[in-house]
Amino acid sequence: MKRRSFLKNMTLASVAAPFALNGMNYQGVAKKLFNYSKSAEDRVLVIIRLNGGNDGLNTVIPLDQYENLLLQRPNVIIPQPNIIQVTPEIGFHPVMTGMNTMFNEGTLTIIQNVGYPEQNRSHFRSMDIWSTGMLDVAETRGWLGRYFDGVYPNYPDGYPNATNPDPFAISMGYEVSSTCQGLMANFSHAVSDPYAAVNLVNTGTANDGSYYGSHMEYLSILINQTNQYADTINAAANAGSSLSTLYDTNNPLAMQLRNVAKMISGGLKTKVYILNVDGFDTHDSQVSSTSPITGNHADLLKRLSDAVSAFQNDLGLLGIANRVAGFTFSEFGRQIASNASFGTDHGDAAPMFLFGSCINSGIIGPNPVISNAVNAQDAVPMQIDFRDVYASILKDWFEVPESEIQPLFEQTITYYQVLGACNVGLDELVDERDKGIVYPNPMLNNATVRFKCQSEWVKIELIDSNGRTIKQLYDSNLAQGIHHVPFELHGLKAGNYFVNVNKASGKETIALVKID
Amino acid sequence: MIPDNNVVGEVSTNMDPYIGAWTKEQAAHLLRRSTFGPTFQQITNAVAAGMNATVTNLLQIPATGLPLSYDPNETISTTGSTWINSVYPSDVTSAQLHENARIKSLGAWLMKRINTENTTIAEKMCLFWQNHFAATLAPDARASYTYHTLIRTHALGNFKQFVKDMTIDPTMLLFLNGATNTLYSPNENYAREILELFTIGKGPQIGPGDYTNYTEEDVAAGAKVFTGYIVEGLRSTTLTSVVSTYYDLLHDQTTKQLSVHFGNQTIAANGATEYADYIDLIFQQEQVAHFISTKLYRYFVNYDITTEVQTNVITIMAQTMLDNNYEILPVLQQLFKSQHFYDIAFRGAIIRNPLEVVFGMFNPSQSVPNFSLATNSDMYISMYYYAQTMGQAYGTPPSVAGWIAYYQAPAFSKLWVNSTTIKSRFDLANYITLYTGIPVNGSNFKVDALTLVNGLSAPNNAVAVIDDLCTVFFPKALSVSQKTLLKLILTGGLPDFEWTVDYDAYAADPTNAAVSNPVKSKIEQVLSRIFQMPEFQTI
Repeated sequence: MKRRSFLKNMTLASVAAPFALNGMNYQGVAKKLFNYSKSAEDRVLVIIRLNGGNDGLNTVIPLDQYENLLLQRPNVIIPQPNIIQVTPEIGFHPVMTGMNTMFNEGTLTIIQNVGYPEQNRSHFRSMDIWSTGMLDVAETRGWLGRYFDGVYPNYPDGYPNATNPDPFAISMGYEVSSTCQGLMANFSHAVSDPYAAVNLVNTGTANDGSYYGSHMEYLSILINQTNQYADTINAAANAGSSLSTLYDTNNPLAMQLRNVAKMISGGLKTKVYILNVDGFDTHDSQVSSTSPITGNHADLLKRLSDAVSAFQNDLGLLGIANRVAGFTFSEFGRQIASNASFGTDHGDAAPMFLFGSCINSGIIGPNPVISNAVNAQDAVPMQIDFRDVYASILKDWFEVPESEIQPLFEQTITYYQVLGACNVGLDELVDERDKGIVYPNPMLNNATVRFKCQSEWVKIELIDSNGRTIKQLYDSNLAQGIHHVPFELHGLKAGNYFVNVNKASGKETIALVKID
Repeated sequence: MIPDNNVVGEVSTNMDPYIGAWTKEQAAHLLRRSTFGPTFQQITNAVAAGMNATVTNLLQIPATGLPLSYDPNETISTTGSTWINSVYPSDVTSAQLHENARIKSLGAWLMKRINTENTTIAEKMCLFWQNHFAATLAPDARASYTYHTLIRTHALGNFKQFVKDMTIDPTMLLFLNGATNTLYSPNENYAREILELFTIGKGPQIGPGDYTNYTEEDVAAGAKVFTGYIVEGLRSTTLTSVVSTYYDLLHDQTTKQLSVHFGNQTIAANGATEYADYIDLIFQQEQVAHFISTKLYRYFVNYDITTEVQTNVITIMAQTMLDNNYEILPVLQQLFKSQHFYDIAFRGAIIRNPLEVVFGMFNPSQSVPNFSLATNSDMYISMYYYAQTMGQAYGTPPSVAGWIAYYQAPAFSKLWVNSTTIKSRFDLANYITLYTGIPVNGSNFKVDALTLVNGLSAPNNAVAVIDDLCTVFFPKALSVSQKTLLKLILTGGLPDFEWTVDYDAYAADPTNAAVSNPVKSKIEQVLSRIFQMPEFQTI
């Protein structure tokens, strides 16, 4: 509890704040120009909903807690040799090779222990909370719906129009997304097949203020919009292309993401795409009874990891990677202890994945701490509030001013640096993604410094806030490229530190927070 | 656009018996809400019988047939007989083929029941309960059949007993992991959903793990109470049905402690019937009656629960239920005879669910496939898939909470329609009127336009035909211009008497395609238009 309140009140806030030594990063880096899309207008957000409650502990596995995890969930845990080691402290489920590659290439962020206070373990209430971005039961609008309502106040009256010819959001499949529910209507448009031509008949009774009248108006507008939006979606899908060969045609999520890539590359101005993967409610048969690395959860994660990595690959080939970012979420994680049905029951916090070329950091937040006492119903406690993540996405990605974001949420927002790496002006000199980072940050005992260098000598030091060198982390020659150097800080007191990466090509200073 | 919560008007919340006019308007409203689509004859019969007799007639559950084997992959039971007590072959692949064959038969059986329902609430109630105890199909069709039979048995019965029987139903035990919930590893899935979704409902979270009506402690205690039942006979080569069996060794023998919301009561170990003791305790809370009354109200009347409706309607329904020890029938009797139910505000207040769309197109003309058993069954499977494409697969609700249109505020039934599903609705409308119909095995199934028109009050009168079709298909009167447009389609823009001439020629020589086809195609064109009007999408 002590650690949790410390985290909440101070540490993460200071991570999000500008660092005193910022600016030193740019010294001596060769000038280059790159094609950032400065305008948030062109940016697209892809949301992947993992429906049912994803078991975070078998997705992002805290390797330093493995012994206790083995006690708690012996029949579902992934055997250690099979785990993909992402960092010395964190492993992925063995099927997540695609996402592991993304992590190493700097296009995947893991946000650990995401949830909200007083976790509700009902699927439906919890999904409502994640969709509305509010704990208030009276709120019926989605978090994006609220945002869109502010920008397009009379929707759906008068839409589409010349300025906004395309749907604001597209929900792939047969259902609209409750994240986009606005006051009057839902801002998302359900698309199961972007190539389908539509020309629906409309007639209609006027809205006389009755329930019936409201349905008539709703249906009438829906039919008009469907006809008009179908034309633009159709045109974009036909004009767009997909270049990656990594999509698996048997993977429905991959096929949907490929359609998303085509619509984006075809010029559709839709800002948000929402996709859904069902099946994460793994009370039983989460893993096969004969082999814990196979089973329903493995199949689901493989589909997710393969599809997202193929999509990211495609965005790169299409030259639109800097315009697209995405994230995954689930209504809750699952309990730490498994049940006898080779499954896990409803839990609390779980990791989110953020992906895209403009992510800031590899890992946000430390590993959960797993007790060696098996207590029924225990789950991973929340450390990062998803509402803060949503707010940070609005700020970094759609560049909404903080003064407009705060009114959309009920909590006092703590901003994280999530998708700001492309938010430097065209006159800036460095690709933020080439900047060194430390992950996880804040850290407990173990972390990794990631940096880019030429073929040169690299010396890495840990210094405290008074500028004293505490520890030498690395001192050797390295080849050109991106490197990951793990280090340990056992016994060091909590506080603010800096990691200096000294290279002939330039010195980088990275702020670091250590917690107990 | 006026937001729903601003919809105003004088809405009567009086639950006293309705004493106003009893015309086709009121009778059709009752039948549209309690069946999947009445014929014109059923509406006029209800007018003649009066409200009380019609409600009594509706609130009965008639016997129904059995699902029959028809697929060539079914080799254990013979074609035309039922497979519900047939074993499975030992070969795994063959067993799966039998399962597929039986599930198709089960799906066809469910659709046929709706298609041939007559004047009874039975099928609407069964769908209500499928949405309430929203289990998906079991891996053994015999268990799924038992589940659907249990629903039909209790459809208008005692809710408390229904919950008890459902708790140990094999399909439910499999669906919410009751079958693997043992002393050695309690699984909370059923214990949570019985409180949250099946009986008392979840209130606002008022403390850590405290949902007003129950707490996480109650979920954990319930999981222990429910331990000990397992499911036997799945795809068995020897057992002729799937059963749930209690094993005392697997049951948690401790005394279970409930929270303050259940008066801190305890449940002593009581073996195979301990689950019923716990359910009795749950049903001591009057909130259960409020919870299920609210759900019935939303399903049959309107999604909008205003303060007045809460106070004057839901409370009365719940009290009736409590006065009758959780019997469902008296509650519906009272509701369907109330002034509130017939208030004009509720005409068209619900957007049709996909099954109400599919069978709302077929049932008013008594269009029932009449080919071979196999072809009929595959026709029904096609109808099942049409409804699925529109968002409602009968046997597999999307989650344990049922279909979102029944619970997701603020849109509720509006969620049935979006840009994709509205197109599916209109596609089917065209398919079964203007196009070839549903094609199966070389046969085609369309709406029976001639039977429909022959059953109207004055089929050779163009004005009367349009009036009667409006009575059958629309919850409220159309505007004059809308009716004029429909009549224009019927008469092809010619004077009304030309329709009379055409219809009379057909009536005089009904087997002559030269005179029947023009009448048929005109009605089909009108129906195509009707089915694609926003007005038809509501009930």
